[in-house]
Amino acid sequence: MKLLFQLSIRNLCRNKRRNAMLLVAIAVAVAGVNATNTLLRGYQYDMLESAINNLTGHVKVMAEGYVDDPNVKHSFELSSEQLPQLPEGMVVGWADRLRIPAVIMSERETRGIELVGVDPAKEDISFIGEAEIEGEFLQGADDGRVLVGKELARQLQTSVGRRLVLIAQGADGLNRERGYRIAGTFDADGTGLEKNYVFVGLSSLQALLETQAITELSVRVDREEQRLPAKSALRAAFPELQVKDWRELDPQVAEMFKFADASLFIWFFLMMGALTFGLVNSLIAAVMERVKELGMMRALGMQNSTVLVQVVLESIILMTVGVVSGTCVSLLIYWSIADGIDLSAYAEGAEMVGVSSVLQPVLLSEDVFLVAIMSIILGILASFYPAWRVIKIRPLDALRR
Amino acid sequence: MTDPVVVCRGVSRTYQQESVPVHALSQVDFTVYPGEFVSLSGPSGSGKSTLLNIVGGLDRPDEGSVSVDGVDLGELSESKLAELRLHKLGFVFQAYNLIPVLSALENVEFIMQLQGVSPVERAERATAVLDRLGLADMLHRRPGELSGGQQQRVAVARAIVSEPVLLLADEPSANLDSSTTKDLLELLKQLNEEGMTIVTATHDTMVMSYALRQVHLRDGQIEHDDQVQSA
Repeated sequence: MKLLFQLSIRNLCRNKRRNAMLLVAIAVAVAGVNATNTLLRGYQYDMLESAINNLTGHVKVMAEGYVDDPNVKHSFELSSEQLPQLPEGMVVGWADRLRIPAVIMSERETRGIELVGVDPAKEDISFIGEAEIEGEFLQGADDGRVLVGKELARQLQTSVGRRLVLIAQGADGLNRERGYRIAGTFDADGTGLEKNYVFVGLSSLQALLETQAITELSVRVDREEQRLPAKSALRAAFPELQVKDWRELDPQVAEMFKFADASLFIWFFLMMGALTFGLVNSLIAAVMERVKELGMMRALGMQNSTVLVQVVLESIILMTVGVVSGTCVSLLIYWSIADGIDLSAYAEGAEMVGVSSVLQPVLLSEDVFLVAIMSIILGILASFYPAWRVIKIRPLDALRR
Repeated sequence: MTDPVVVCRGVSRTYQQESVPVHALSQVDFTVYPGEFVSLSGPSGSGKSTLLNIVGGLDRPDEGSVSVDGVDLGELSESKLAELRLHKLGFVFQAYNLIPVLSALENVEFIMQLQGVSPVERAERATAVLDRLGLADMLHRRPGELSGGQQQRVAVARAIVSEPVLLLADEPSANLDSSTTKDLLELLKQLNEEGMTIVTATHDTMVMSYALRQVHLRDGQIEHDDQVQSA
């Protein structure tokens, strides 16, 4: 093996210009793939963050039937304030909510909305906890005021400090109606959220609806990979209730998330596939100009398999150097854009669906590792054809060239 | 009597040259005994190189059988043939055919590396052979830094370093001047006197004159096969 390694290194040094060009091409392709991956991952994670922040959390516990008919009848009582035991460090936060459809009226307009009773102290896991508030945030679970979205306030032609009337159905099927003062308006970077949600203190809403129940328990875990273990633990803790994760609750986002995953591979194969043709050509040129030499080695007794290993080894060395260089370049690119790319000039549409206008690149070591390994595997596969071409020439014919 | 190193029986070989069959060898019987120095001569197309290649396991006859050191080559796979070439045969080619990226020492070590000889033994044996061939000062020079004669001596060193049962040389003097050819032939003669069996294909009369047995081919057949006195 030492001999083959030695031969491979020296053979690669024979045509420095050609191999240097090839190395640059490999490095550029790998850097390009990695840089694109960080942006795609950034977009993907931003989308995930938005989906989770949008009152969904990673996992949600609900009463049976609530998903199809989100009504206070499909609610449950949380026996204690404590969340069931989940592995330490897994849970970032959780929030119990009472979320029902309601009608909101100002002096001028009426709208259908989702009325969400929250404990403000627990809402640091959702967008409302981080939203920019004009006026005041809710002061506690018993706060009898409401928070409305800026867009909804505009549509209702109302403002902070003014009163609104909310009508919602109680567990007994009878409508409850009450006037609420607007504590503040929230800016959620997305008119969809601002139009749909109205927040009120949980206890206050429970009092209006004459219930102690909640309709959902939303749990946020530390990392996406902990979603399934958390879901299993919650299922065991709440066997009578429905436990769903964000992928089930927001299938459209889940599909887009999967599509982003697939995009990484598509992009990789497009870039590296094009590169592979160049690699195969270079390797063919490299081995065909050494046909006589390789034929002589085989005439002296070198096995075909050893010749194959040598050609493959040359490709592996080339790819490895190219991949390492490309990875270093991609780290530099990542470092230079780590603060995010401001897309606000082009991102009005993105804000509409709750995706941030600043694209924050995300570098995952497993992505970098995967690109490196797959590139080297591609290099190995690409070297088989040139090796096969040289092996199928008989040593005697090779010597006559 | 000693067993022969090479036995060819009824060997025929036909090539297709632009769809025209060319009979390179026709029913050739050829035997080489240990310690012989045989020259295969004849005009171009007489079949001398074809016979050498068939004996060396680089080509296969269409008819007939070939055995080297008691091994029937017809029964060997390509892989086994390569193994036989590695362990039993030494080759000296017309164009030296050294590996350009390896030094003289590494070129000589190359065969032993394929054979799995330990690094220390490899270095010792390769150095000793190169020293003997007068290349002690050129161990670390690459082929491009050596003259034609020096390169051919490295090729001979590579061929003999693992002490093969048969040394095959195809037009070994083709690229050498007469003085260097003489040096090479003296070397081959010396090796033969030490017991090495040598078969060379040549049309160089000087090479023939050093051989102890001259086999002349014409039109794919042996025209005459003469034992001669030592030069």
